[in-house]
Amino acid sequence: MTVAIATRQTVALTKRSTLAILRQPVLIVPSLVFPLFFAALSASSFSKTTRLPGFPKVDSFLQFTLASTVIQGVLFGSITGAAALATDIEGGFFDRLLAAPTARTGILIGNLMGSALFGAAQSAIFVFALLPFGVRVEAGLLGIGAMIISGGLIALGISSLMSAVAIRTGSAEAVQGAFPLLFVLLFFSSVFFPRQTMHGTYKTIATINPISYLVEGIRSLVLDGFSGLAIAQAILIPIGICVLGFVLALTELRRRLGAR
Amino acid sequence: MNTSSMAVTSNGDEDESSTIRSSWGLAVRGLRNIRRLPSAFVPAMLMPVFTTIAFSGTFAAITELPNFPTSRSVNWFMPLGICFGSAFAGVGLGFSAIRDIETGFYDRLRMSPTSRWSLIIGPLIAAWSRAILICVFVISLGFVLGVRFTAGVTGVATLVAASLGIATICLGWGLGLAFRFRDMRGAALMQLSMFVALYLTPAQVPLPLTTGWLHAVARINPVTNILRLARQGLVSKSSVDSLSWANTWGGLVAILGMSILALIFAKRGLAKLDK
Repeated sequence: MTVAIATRQTVALTKRSTLAILRQPVLIVPSLVFPLFFAALSASSFSKTTRLPGFPKVDSFLQFTLASTVIQGVLFGSITGAAALATDIEGGFFDRLLAAPTARTGILIGNLMGSALFGAAQSAIFVFALLPFGVRVEAGLLGIGAMIISGGLIALGISSLMSAVAIRTGSAEAVQGAFPLLFVLLFFSSVFFPRQTMHGTYKTIATINPISYLVEGIRSLVLDGFSGLAIAQAILIPIGICVLGFVLALTELRRRLGAR
Repeated sequence: MNTSSMAVTSNGDEDESSTIRSSWGLAVRGLRNIRRLPSAFVPAMLMPVFTTIAFSGTFAAITELPNFPTSRSVNWFMPLGICFGSAFAGVGLGFSAIRDIETGFYDRLRMSPTSRWSLIIGPLIAAWSRAILICVFVISLGFVLGVRFTAGVTGVATLVAASLGIATICLGWGLGLAFRFRDMRGAALMQLSMFVALYLTPAQVPLPLTTGWLHAVARINPVTNILRLARQGLVSKSSVDSLSWANTWGGLVAILGMSILALIFAKRGLAKLDK
C-alpha cells in the first residue's frame, strides 16, 4: 500500500469522524456550554482569591481560569471520538474496516482526528468567547495559536487513550465509564486553583499529576507571555500522551486481531 | 414487589393502611435496588465523597480570605458534598421511575388498586433512607479528614435536615420530570437542573465573598438558605453564619416551600401519566 493511498484513507476516515461529531449537537453543546458556565461561575465565586498569598499575578480570576476552561472542555469533549469508535465496534463497522485493505494506523488516526479537530475548535471558541470579558492573552496571537494546537493535541491524546479502552472492551458504556477517571485527574491537579496555594498531600498529588504541568504551560502563555518552557509544557506533554495512547491503542488492536 | 398485595379497600382506614403498605413496599424496593443495581446508587455516594475531598484540597486556601467563616476547608465543603449526594439520591429515584416506565413495570403499579400518593411516598421514604446513608458515610469520612462540628449534635441535626430536604425536593422534581418525559431525556434534565440550582448559590465561597452576577442570583436562590442551614453547625461560633434561629428558619421555609411545589409537580405528572 502506497503512502498516498493510506493518506487518502485516513483523510476519508477523518471526514467521517468529524461529521459524526458535528451531527450530534447533544454532545457538542454541553462540552461548549458547561466549561463556559463554570468559567463564569468561578470568576464570580473566586474573584477575591486572586489576592491570596502565592496566587499568580493576574488581571482577574477569569484570566486565570481561561487555561482551566480549555483543558476542562477539551478533556470532556475528547471522549466522544473513542465512544464513537466503540459504537463502530459494537455495530460491526470496525470489523468491516479491518477486513478492507486499509492501514491499521490510518483507521485509528482517522477515527480520532475528528476529536482532535473538535478539541482545537473548542479551544479557539473558549479563547475568543472570553476575550470580550477583559481576558488578555499575554503571548498574543502566537500564544492563542499554540493554545489551539495544544487543545487539538490534548483531545487526540485523550481520545487515543480512551480508544485503547474502546478496542479492548468494544463497549461505548465502558468508555463512558472511564470518564470519572478524567474528572479525578482534573481535580487532583492545578487546573482549578494554583499549586502554590495548596498544602500537604494534596499539593504532592497535584505535583506528580502531569495535567498540572500541562495546564500551567497553557496558563503561562495567558499570564506571562510566550516562552520556550510554556510551549514545551503546552505542546510536548500532549504529544507524550498521544504517543502513549497510540502505543496502547495499537497494542490493543493487535491483541484483538490476534485473538481471532 | 407483589402488586397483588395492594388490596382493594372500601373504607377510609383500610385505604390509609393500603397506602402505607404500598408506600412501604415501594420504599423497600427502592432500597433493595441499591444492592441489585449498585450503578444507580454508587454515583450518589461517590459524588459527596469526591466533592468533599477534591474541593477541600483544591480550594483549601480560600479559608485564608478575610471573614471566611471557618479555618477548615473540609468543614466548608463537606455539607456541599452531602447536599450534592442527597440531590443525587432524590433524582436517582427519578431515574428508577424512568426505567420502570420504560420496562412497563410502572403500568402494573398504576393498575394496582392503591392510592396514587403511595407511588410518591414510597420513593420518598427510599430517598430519605439513601440520604441518611450518605450522611452517615460522608460525616464519618469527614471526621477522618478533620471535620469539627462547632455546634455539636445540633449542627449534625441541621445538616441532616438540609440533606433530607434536598432529597425531598429533588425526588419530587425527578419524579415529575420522569412522569412527563417518560424516557432518559428526563434524566439529563434532572441532573442538569440539579447542578445549576446547587451551583447558583454560595456553594464555593460565602455570599459576601461572591461578586457580580452570581452574588445577585445567589441572594434570591432559595437553595442558598438550605446550604446556610446545612453549614451553620460547622462554621466558627464567632461567624454570622453560625448556628442560630436566624440562619435556620430561612432554610426550613425554603425546604417546606420547595418540597410542597416539587411533590405537587410529581403528583400532577403522575396524573398526566394516568391519562
